Amino acid sequence: MTKGLDYKVLILISTVLACTILAFFVGFIKDETIVYTHFFYIPILLAGVWYQKKTVYIALFLSFLYILVTLFSPQAELSVHVFERSAIFVAVAYVIGVVSEKRAKGEEKLKETKEYLDDVIKTSVDAIAVVDMEGIVRSWNKAAEDYMGYTAEEVIGTNNNFFFADPGEAEKIMRIVQRDGELKNYRTIVLNKAKKPVHVSMSAALLKDKNGVPIGTVRVSRDITKEVELEEKIEGERDNLNLILESMDDGVYIVSKDYEVEFMNKVLIDALGYHVGDSCYKAFHNREAPCPLCKNTEVMKGKTVRWEWYSRRNNKTYDLFETPLRNVNGTLSKLTIFRDISDRKRMEDELRDAEERYRVIFEHALTALCVIEHGEELSLANQEFETLSGYSREEIEGKKWIDFIADEDMDRVQNYCEERRKGEAPASCEFKFVSSNGELKHVNAWIEPIPGENRCIASLLDITELKRKEDELRETCEKLTELDNMKRDFLNVAYHEMRSPLAPIVGYASMLERCELPDKGRRYIYIIEQSARELEKMINRMLELARIDSRKIELILEDFSISGVVQEVVKDFEPEAKEKKQIISTIVPGVEIQADKQKVVAIFTNLISNAIKYTPEGGKIDIVVEDRGKDIRAYVADTGIGIPEEHLPKIFERFYMVDTSLTRKSGSLGLGLSIVKEYVNLHGGKVWATSEPGKGSKFFFIMPKRQ
Amino acid sequence: MEEKKKILIVEDAAYMRDMLSEMLEQEAGSYEVVGFAVNGKEAVEKYKELKPDIVTMDLVMEVMDGIQAIREIKKYDPSALVIAISALGTPEQKKAALNAGAEEYLWKPFTIKNLFEALEKLLRKREE
Repeated sequence: MTKGLDYKVLILISTVLACTILAFFVGFIKDETIVYTHFFYIPILLAGVWYQKKTVYIALFLSFLYILVTLFSPQAELSVHVFERSAIFVAVAYVIGVVSEKRAKGEEKLKETKEYLDDVIKTSVDAIAVVDMEGIVRSWNKAAEDYMGYTAEEVIGTNNNFFFADPGEAEKIMRIVQRDGELKNYRTIVLNKAKKPVHVSMSAALLKDKNGVPIGTVRVSRDITKEVELEEKIEGERDNLNLILESMDDGVYIVSKDYEVEFMNKVLIDALGYHVGDSCYKAFHNREAPCPLCKNTEVMKGKTVRWEWYSRRNNKTYDLFETPLRNVNGTLSKLTIFRDISDRKRMEDELRDAEERYRVIFEHALTALCVIEHGEELSLANQEFETLSGYSREEIEGKKWIDFIADEDMDRVQNYCEERRKGEAPASCEFKFVSSNGELKHVNAWIEPIPGENRCIASLLDITELKRKEDELRETCEKLTELDNMKRDFLNVAYHEMRSPLAPIVGYASMLERCELPDKGRRYIYIIEQSARELEKMINRMLELARIDSRKIELILEDFSISGVVQEVVKDFEPEAKEKKQIISTIVPGVEIQADKQKVVAIFTNLISNAIKYTPEGGKIDIVVEDRGKDIRAYVADTGIGIPEEHLPKIFERFYMVDTSLTRKSGSLGLGLSIVKEYVNLHGGKVWATSEPGKGSKFFFIMPKRQ
Repeated sequence: MEEKKKILIVEDAAYMRDMLSEMLEQEAGSYEVVGFAVNGKEAVEKYKELKPDIVTMDLVMEVMDGIQAIREIKKYDPSALVIAISALGTPEQKKAALNAGAEEYLWKPFTIKNLFEALEKLLRKREE
């Protein structure tokens, strides 16, 4: 400032001196002061611009100089004109000074404003640049230097398109600013000095001169590289999220707080069609307004909700997970993930029902049931268990299993339980159960491991009463067996005793036969003998059956020809058959068997004897034996009266008689067939009969060839 | 003329003893009843005393049964001839009697014919 003053003063002084000297010499040559005095206006003008009102003092000083020059100038005379001119000097200077001062004051204000603005520009964190209409950079602030790397000196005067990653951007920005007068938050990429891209958000305004003609643009840019990177990262995350959501089997969608569908995953699109941009209530639920149960408001408050929704329309239940999702622009959307859990729900219901059913069965079962945990304590018991143990359920649960086992049975039951767990032991185990009052109850226990669980279910049946009855029965049975044995012994003796008196009857009769007797007497003896033989046979059979019952019979095995036996028996019956005019025919192969010969003889004897007995005169009796490899099958068929069908299954039973009157006539006790059956059974064979009443009967038996 | 065969009748029942002796009387030329015994013990004593040719031995008797008596007699005289007579008539009993040493076996009731057939069979067996 001082320097400026000096330089201005210097110019002023030199101009004044130059004017004075010029005026002095002109005044020497001729009286032309009026002309030369015009030179004095140069310093007055300069001073007027520079010092404003102070110009008056300069003008006074110049007037003084002028008067001095005129005084000493040989050609000039000090006249009224001189003073007149001096006064004009001062007046002009005053006017110039006033005008100049007014101007200077305005300029100063302008200058202050400019400095203030410069300060703002300089200290702004945003880059501020001024670009003229030709695209030339006119201003470049500190912040611009910082993130672009270029100094103001390097940049000012160059074209701004040089900075943009896309050179076309420069023209585009200029065009928008010209058109709209401004540009707001325009995102673009510039290159810094190191040619690295810098993301910027730019705002610009058009600069106009006072006539409204555009002269350039001022641009404020902010480095948003970090924000952009973050945004990209968020976008990337969002893309990943979308990818995950797309690939999920569950339905996924995102809606804005205004119920606008922003995203649907593939599953949902496949099911409902593409509805991004539509209202969720319209697109998904065909409603005109948001659904009454919608959780959008809650989620928009930042809550995550999980709930089940039953759709009456399609009778399905969904599990919904809904959570807020923050968008890049700061708004919230609702992310919904849902799954059709109808099947699971149904299964759960079924499971619950099944559980309930089993619980009822468990509870009301007629056996005492309880669950034994691995640690031996009982965890569950039913009503019947309460009854059995005499404890309440609360008392039972937690009690040890072994508390209920009588000491004497402990080891056995423990072993049984252990083996049951391994799946080895027999199904049930009997032991004495200790009830609440110490009373011992007999139970039949069944321990069953629960598959896949470390516990067992025990089912206990109170068999105390059963046991008591069983004991009673056993006692009764023993008594009866004893009685039966006594009876059998008695019968054996009785039969024996019955035979004894037969001996003298038969004996004396046979002696009487040798005596000389009338014909009548011979006939009587014959009747006595026949009756005695019949009686003997009956007693023999009863004796035989008694022996079979007391298991006193053993097979005496030998090899013999079956045809030999049949012929032998038939031969014995020939006189009888002849008497009844019956024909006996046999078809017997020459086969050897191993059996008790006496018994086989008895079998045929009984069968043939029956056949003869029940077949009327002139009938026919067939005896057939078939060799069937491992066994023989034989039958004796007659043309007798036959046996009604309802009697067939019983005819082999002891003392069973089809017709008691006939029996009486034939003199039988119905023991023959039962002996046949016993003998065949002893040989491991089988007997049966077929019959057609009125036509005849067939008695079959099968017997292995070898024992 | 052959010598009469001496017979010892062992029977606990009196009527059987009577009947047997009466039957044998019918062939008095061939057989002679030399004595009776009512149980096995007496039978053995009588056998030793009388030395009969043939013994008819009832099997079911008090004091000592017939089987035991047969054994004793056979022990004393292995060449003794015994006909076992029983009302029981089981194969087991028959087997037991034959094992004890009886030569023949006769079931009650029997006819006079049965008795002499058995005796003849016994004597024939001896001659062979």
